Formats: sequence, structure tokens, C-alpha cells
Amino acid sequence: MQSPDEETLVERACRGDPDAFEELVVSYQSLAFRTAFVIAGDAADAEEAAQDAFVKAHRALGRFRSGEPFRPWLLTIVANEARNRRRSRGRRAALALRAADPGAPGEDPETAALASERRERLLTAVQRLRDDDRDVLACRYFLDLSEEETAATLGITRGTVKSRTHRALGRLQEELE
Amino acid sequence: MIDLELELRDLAAHLDVPMHPPLAGAVLVRITRARRRRRVLTLAVATGLAALAVALAVPGSRASLLRFFHIRGAAVRLVDKLPPLAGHRSLGIPIPLDRAPFRLLLPSGRRPARLYAGDGGYWLRYPGLLLFEFESGNGATLIKKAAVGTHVEYVRVGGEAGIWIGARHAVFLPGGPPVAAGHVLIWQHGVLTLRLEVAVGLDQALAIARSLR
Repeated sequence: MQSPDEETLVERACRGDPDAFEELVVSYQSLAFRTAFVIAGDAADAEEAAQDAFVKAHRALGRFRSGEPFRPWLLTIVANEARNRRRSRGRRAALALRAADPGAPGEDPETAALASERRERLLTAVQRLRDDDRDVLACRYFLDLSEEETAATLGITRGTVKSRTHRALGRLQEELE
Repeated sequence: MIDLELELRDLAAHLDVPMHPPLAGAVLVRITRARRRRRVLTLAVATGLAALAVALAVPGSRASLLRFFHIRGAAVRLVDKLPPLAGHRSLGIPIPLDRAPFRLLLPSGRRPARLYAGDGGYWLRYPGLLLFEFESGNGATLIKKAAVGTHVEYVRVGGEAGIWIGARHAVFLPGGPPVAAGHVLIWQHGVLTLRLEVAVGLDQALAIARSLR
């Protein structure tokens, strides 16, 4: 659901108002970049993908249906661009954990080290999954998208999001065992 | 599963995702450039169409635009008057069929009565039919001139471009005077250009051309 303000902004952008489109880019650049990054796994690819996605979205504004949510529509384009780059690169760049991540406040160093080790294992297991399994987990848990938004982003049905998420979690569990 | 889902959400908070670069400036620059390019292209297309319309409206220009036909390996120009034509010339050196350096295409697979190497290609003579095959990829071009009013048209043979000349015309072969030719179909076939001279109409000529193998 988009706010009335955003709906107005999208309508203005559709009518060719460059200021309105700029505001949309500013609002969504962080999410677009993050989405592209978790799919492509590389900052330069993610920047290019997000930039190209905004340019393509601007070109396609004439086909945008008034009243539809803008965010999943944009994310579909971003995800496509990111997947194209991942495909053309021929291999997937690996996501990494932040270096020297501080533990939770009050957490003792040993617990923090164990948690960090567990995260490393989990991330390695995620990286070993097939692209479609990894993408659905990234959308649902790394980007915190709803099932509906994940479906739009990946160009699949909501039912497929459910089944694929279930399958991907099962495979992830197997990887961890 | 619930634990794993919670762990994945926790993992998201610890991923090393770089700070997003400011995209708005670059995006707006690209949009503005693209819009300008589209405007220039629209203007160029409109100017081109207008120039073509003017050219077609002027009888002299229209005539010259419609007087030239070209496919790879052959060009036909319509001229007001044909040059003096020689009636006959040698087709080259007779050779056996297996001496051609590329696989010749034969009408319905039939072997020719005679095969000659000459004029940068191979002449295949059959009773009532003359076929010339040459590799046109190297820029070799067969030049033909036909008088204004001659039936000349573009055709398609097996999906490739061709030209039909439905009357007597002049063919310019290297190292000799222009010679007279009758009904001729010329067409591209892969790297080859073929010329079929036969005293039949276009439909029959196309049927022969399509039978080549």
C-alpha cells in the first residue's frame, strides 16, 4: 500500500514532472541498491543495476497503472537488472559479514564469538544454495519484503514464494547439518 | 524452521552491505541525455522523411531513386539508352564439375551439359538455361544496365534477396564489351550470388531457382 503522498508523487512523475521522479529516486535509492546488492553480490554491479533500473522505470512510467503500488513495480525492474548482471558475470559474488561486528550490548565476548561463527556458517550455507532459493530467502529475510512484494520482485506467484521459501529453508537446514 | 528464519533476519542485520551511492543525480543526467537523444533522432527521422518526400515529388530525383537496384553481388541501373552490345562472348575455360573450388548448386540436382570457369565464377550451361555462380563475399559485383521501362523488380528467393529483369539488357563482365542478356534472375544464396538466364517468366524462373541443390 502506498501513502497518498507517494501516489501523488507517482502521478506527477507519470505526467513528466522531473522533480517528482527525483523525489522517488531519493526515496527508493537505498532499497533499490540493497536489493541489487543482495542479488548481484557486488557493489559496482548493484550501483549500475539500480541506476539502470531507475532509468528504465522512468522510460516505462507511461505503462505504470495508476493506483498500483510503486515499490514492487520498481523492485521487479531492479531485480531483473541485478540478475542480468549476475548472469553476465557468470558467477555469483559472495556476500560477507561486516568486519569486527560488535556483539549485542552486554554480550560477553565468548558468546559474541560463537554467534559470529554461527552467522558465518549460515551465510556460507546460504551462498551454497541455488540462485532461485537464495533469491527468495534474500527477499524475505535480508530485505524483509512481504510475500506479495517478493512475488512481484522475482516475477513469480505468491504461492511459488511460499513453496520456494519452504524448500529453500529445508535445503538450508540440510546444508547446516 | 522458525529458529532458522529468526537467524536469517539476524544475519541480515550483520551483512556487509555498502552504503548506497547517491543515485538521483546520475539517473537524472541519463534521463535528460536520453530525452535529448530521442528529440535529435526524431528530428533526424522527420528531416529524412521530408527530404525523401521532396525527392519523390521532383520527377528527376524520383526517376534516379527508382533507377537503381542492388543486392550483394549485383547492381542493376536503368539507363535511358543501352550501350552497343556484343551478341556473344566466350564463357571461359571448360572444366570438369569436380574442379570447382566450392560446391556448385545445380537445378533439381542435375549436372550441367558444360561447365566453364570464367568472369570470377562458374558458368553452368544447360539446354535453354545458363546459370552463373560466384562468391560475392569478397565484394565482386555483377553490373547490369537495362533500358528505362524494362520490368525490373526486387524478389525473394528462399528468404534471400534477388532481382528479376524481365527483358533484354546489358551485362558488364570484366575484360570485355557489354553483352546482351535476356530474362535474368539474380539472387543471393549464403556467400554465393547466382544468376539464372532462361527464356521463361518470373514464376518459372523462381521455381527453377528454388530447385537448386
